[in-house]
Formats: sequence, C-alpha cells, structure tokens
Amino acid sequence: MTLFLAAGLLSPNVGLIFWMALAFLTLLFLLSKYAWGPITSALAEREQTIEDSLTSAQKALAEAKQLSADNEKARREGEAQAQQIMREAREAAEALRAEQVEKTRAQIRTMQDQAQAEIEREKQQALAELRTEVADLAIQAAEKILHENLDAPRQKKLVEAFISDLPKN
Amino acid sequence: MTNRFFRAPLFGALLALVMVGTIAPAHAAGEDGEFDAIGHTMDGNYLDFSPFGKVELPRIFLVRKADGSIGLDVYGSTKQALLTGDYVMASSYADEAHAEDGYGDAEESAYGEAGYGDAPADEATATQEAISKGKHLYGGLTRAKGDVIVDFSITRHLLFAWLAILILCLLFIPMAGKYKQGIGRTEAPRGKKMNMLETLVLYIRDEVARPNLGEKTDKFLPYLLTIFFFILTCNLLGLIPFGATATANITTTAVLAIFTFIVTQFAGTKDYWMHVFNPPGIPWFVKPIMIPIEFLGLFIKPFALAIRLFANMTAGHLVILNLIGLIFAIRAILGDGAGWGTAVPSYFLTVFIYGLEVLVAFIQAYVFTILSALFIGMAAAEHEHHGHEPHAHEQTVGTEAVI
Repeated sequence: MTLFLAAGLLSPNVGLIFWMALAFLTLLFLLSKYAWGPITSALAEREQTIEDSLTSAQKALAEAKQLSADNEKARREGEAQAQQIMREAREAAEALRAEQVEKTRAQIRTMQDQAQAEIEREKQQALAELRTEVADLAIQAAEKILHENLDAPRQKKLVEAFISDLPKN
Repeated sequence: MTNRFFRAPLFGALLALVMVGTIAPAHAAGEDGEFDAIGHTMDGNYLDFSPFGKVELPRIFLVRKADGSIGLDVYGSTKQALLTGDYVMASSYADEAHAEDGYGDAEESAYGEAGYGDAPADEATATQEAISKGKHLYGGLTRAKGDVIVDFSITRHLLFAWLAILILCLLFIPMAGKYKQGIGRTEAPRGKKMNMLETLVLYIRDEVARPNLGEKTDKFLPYLLTIFFFILTCNLLGLIPFGATATANITTTAVLAIFTFIVTQFAGTKDYWMHVFNPPGIPWFVKPIMIPIEFLGLFIKPFALAIRLFANMTAGHLVILNLIGLIFAIRAILGDGAGWGTAVPSYFLTVFIYGLEVLVAFIQAYVFTILSALFIGMAAAEHEHHGHEPHAHEQTVGTEAVI
C-alpha cells in the first residue's frame, strides 16, 4: 500500500501533460503578446529617459558652471579694464595739466624775457641818445665858454674822454 | 545561506516518503481515512472543500471502444461516469480489497472485464456503496468495455494552473495597459500593485536574465518572466485554504522543465553542440567518457529541474500535514492527554513550516527561473576561446549541484 501511495504521487499523467502544455503555451502567448512587450519596453524606455535626463542635467550643470565662470571672468576683466581706463585717464589728465602748467610757465618766461630785452634795448637806446645829447650840450657849453681857445676836434676829444669816464649806467 | 533552504524541503520530502512507509501518521490516524496527507497533496478529480464537501470535476476520456473505434467520452463528474455504467472503478487505495488486486492499468482493465463483467449486479452495488461513502474519487476508472487511451480529465491541479493563468492575465495585461498609457513609461509607476510587480519583473530582468543571457536577454526574457510568475503563483495558490499546489505535481514540473529543455536546445549555438559531441581541450581518450556524460547531461538538467520543484513543493505540504497528523497518531497510541500535549508543539511547528513554505514558494520559483536562464545562457553563449582553460560550464554544473 505504501508503494502505491508513493506511486500515486510520482506517476505522471499523460492527459495532464497535454493540458499543462496547452495551458502554459496559452499563458506564454498571452503574456508575451499583451503584457511583457509593453512592460519591458516601457521599463527600458523609462530607464533610457532617466539616464538621458541625468546626462543632460549633468551637462546643463557643467554648462551653467562654465557660464558662471565665464561671467565671473568677464566681470573681473571689465573691472580691471575700467580701472585701467580710469588710471590712464587720470594719468592723461595729470600729464595734460602738467603740460599746460609748463607751457604757461614757459610762455610767461618768454614774455618776461622779451619784456626784459625790450627794456634793455629801450634803455640802451635811451642812454645812447642821452649820451649824444649830453655830448652835444657839453660841446655847446664848452664852445660857449672856450669859444676861441679850442678848435672843434680838440674839444670833441676832451668831451669823449669825459663821457667815457662817466659811469656806464 | 540559501543552501539550507533548498536542501531542507528536499530532505523533508525524502523523509516524508520514508515515514509514509513506516508510521504513516497522517493516513493511519484519520478516522475512515478522512485525513489523508498524500491524497491531499496528490492530484485528483475533485476540489476538496472539506469539511464542507467536495466538488467533482468533469471527466474526459479518449477511448477505444469495444468495437475498436476511437471516441471521446465526456462526463460532468466521476459519479456520473460510474452511474452510466460505462466505467467501473479500477482500484482504490482507500479500498483495500481493490488495491490488493493490483494497480497496473492492463491488469485492471482485464480484471474489470473478466471479474465484473460476469456479475453486473455485484458491480453496481459495489459502485453505489463506494459513491455513498465518497470513495469513488480515490481510485482510477476503467472503461467497462474497451480501453481508455488517454485520460484527459480536468484535475484539481489543472484547475489551479488555470486559476494561476487567470490571475496572471488579470494582473499583467491591465498593468501593460497602464504602461501603454504612459504611466511608468514617462511618469513614475503608480500604486502598490504596479510597484510591487515591477520590482519582481526588474529583479528577473536584472538579476536573473541579464547575468546569464547577456545581450540575448530580450529574446528569452518573456519566457523567463512567464515561467517565474506562473510557478510563483501556483506555489502560492497551494498555500491558501482549499487550494492545491499545481507545482507539487511531477507532471506539471516535468512539462515546465520540458519547455526549458526545448528552449535551451533551440537556443543552442554551434559551440554548444560541439561542447556536447566533441568537447574541446580534452585528451582523446577521455572523450568516449565525456561525450555520453555531456549527452546525458542535456536530459539530466531538466530532469533535476522538474524533480527539484516537485519535491520542494510536495515536501512542505507533507511535512505540515504529517505534523498535524502526528497529533492524532499520538492520541491514538497514548490517549487524549498526550494528543492535546502534542497539539501545542505541532501547532507552532506547523506555523513555522508554513512560513518556510512561503519563503520556499519564492525561492523555488526563483531557482527554476535562474537555472532555466543559466541553461539557456550556456547554450546560447558564443564562446570565443577554444578550450584551454576550464569552462564556465563546469563551474555552473557545480553551482547547480549546490542548489
């Protein structure tokens, strides 16, 4: 009886083989056609989407970082440039002012020189005129005094000696 | 870690089969054979809703009639088949008198014709008596005149396999619809059911199929998913009250293993066949030994697959039923007090085994699937080398042996 029990449990059933094979094939067909296809393709697509999103997010992040770095660099450059320009402008202004001052000073000096030269010339002229005048006056005076005693050349010589003894200025 | 779980039920099955012969507590202790571990685990032509009763299932027979013509006999139930008089009870282990006459089909039919043919009145009363006692369901049927060629009757296990198919279709086809709508495709999956099933699908794809099949995953994934969920559902259906485990039937597991065998052979590359019939990198004098071994290996693999699943699923049920049966066996031997005393440890052990069975339901579905994937992957692999180092093949055989 024991053997019979074990045999009952272990004996294959030909009819059941047919039914089970049919049942399993039906299930395989139904699920393969209507379930696994959409499910696995959707899962694959979703994974792809997630991967793409991650990649593009990483790329966007890198780009943003690059952009921000570029901006920062541009800002720094701009700032440096502005400072440079200001410095240059200040230097230029300074130079211009100095030049102006120098020019004015030179002009003033020139004018002074000119004035002085003019004065000197006028003075020399005046002295020369004065000397001639004085000599003539002296001669006239002496002529009047010495009238007869002295001839003209001798008188002139005396006067000139007198004049040269006079202080120069 | 897993080895323990794989081995325990298998060991349990062997132990249970031995125990049936020695003490058979489950069978012997029940009054009038009502409590019957083997009968409960075995396939049958009825749904067992004890103690509320039994629902008989249709009987379909492909027969060769007395005049030699071949026909199909269809009956609503076993009782009907018997009452028409076309069929007689062949044998029944519940009925000692019949069992002693033998249980081979040929002998039975001969017995049916010769023994009962002479005394129709006796036979009719015997049948009536068996039906009234409800014992007609435990034996085989033979045609009174002519032979049954194939018994295509709808059995309990087949019905539960259909139920599993129905459940799987109802779970996955609407789920596929959701994916088509875009839920889970462009948006996050929604709901517990979808997330849970998706986790399993992804597990099979990423942990079972991909490591073994590589780039051929997409081709075999539908098969692996189907076989995993079918086995899992069948295993779990056996754990619900009034349920039956379709996978605790050697026929079911054999059919599944045959499918894996067929898929494996069709997936086989040139390299695969060369490994079988002309293993490279082996001295010529070893080849006469290796080739038969390799060839037998083709069949042993699916055979082991079938036995493993069957034994694991049967063992758990037998252990549970025997633990419960132990209460009555002890009571019968040592009296009521001892019976009550046994009930407490029996109860806790039963709960423990039941929990283990839930685990085993998942593990065995996983093992069957991963081994199928492994066999298919081994057959489908394109080898680049030509046998100087030990093959993945030998290593995987080792893995299989461990499991």
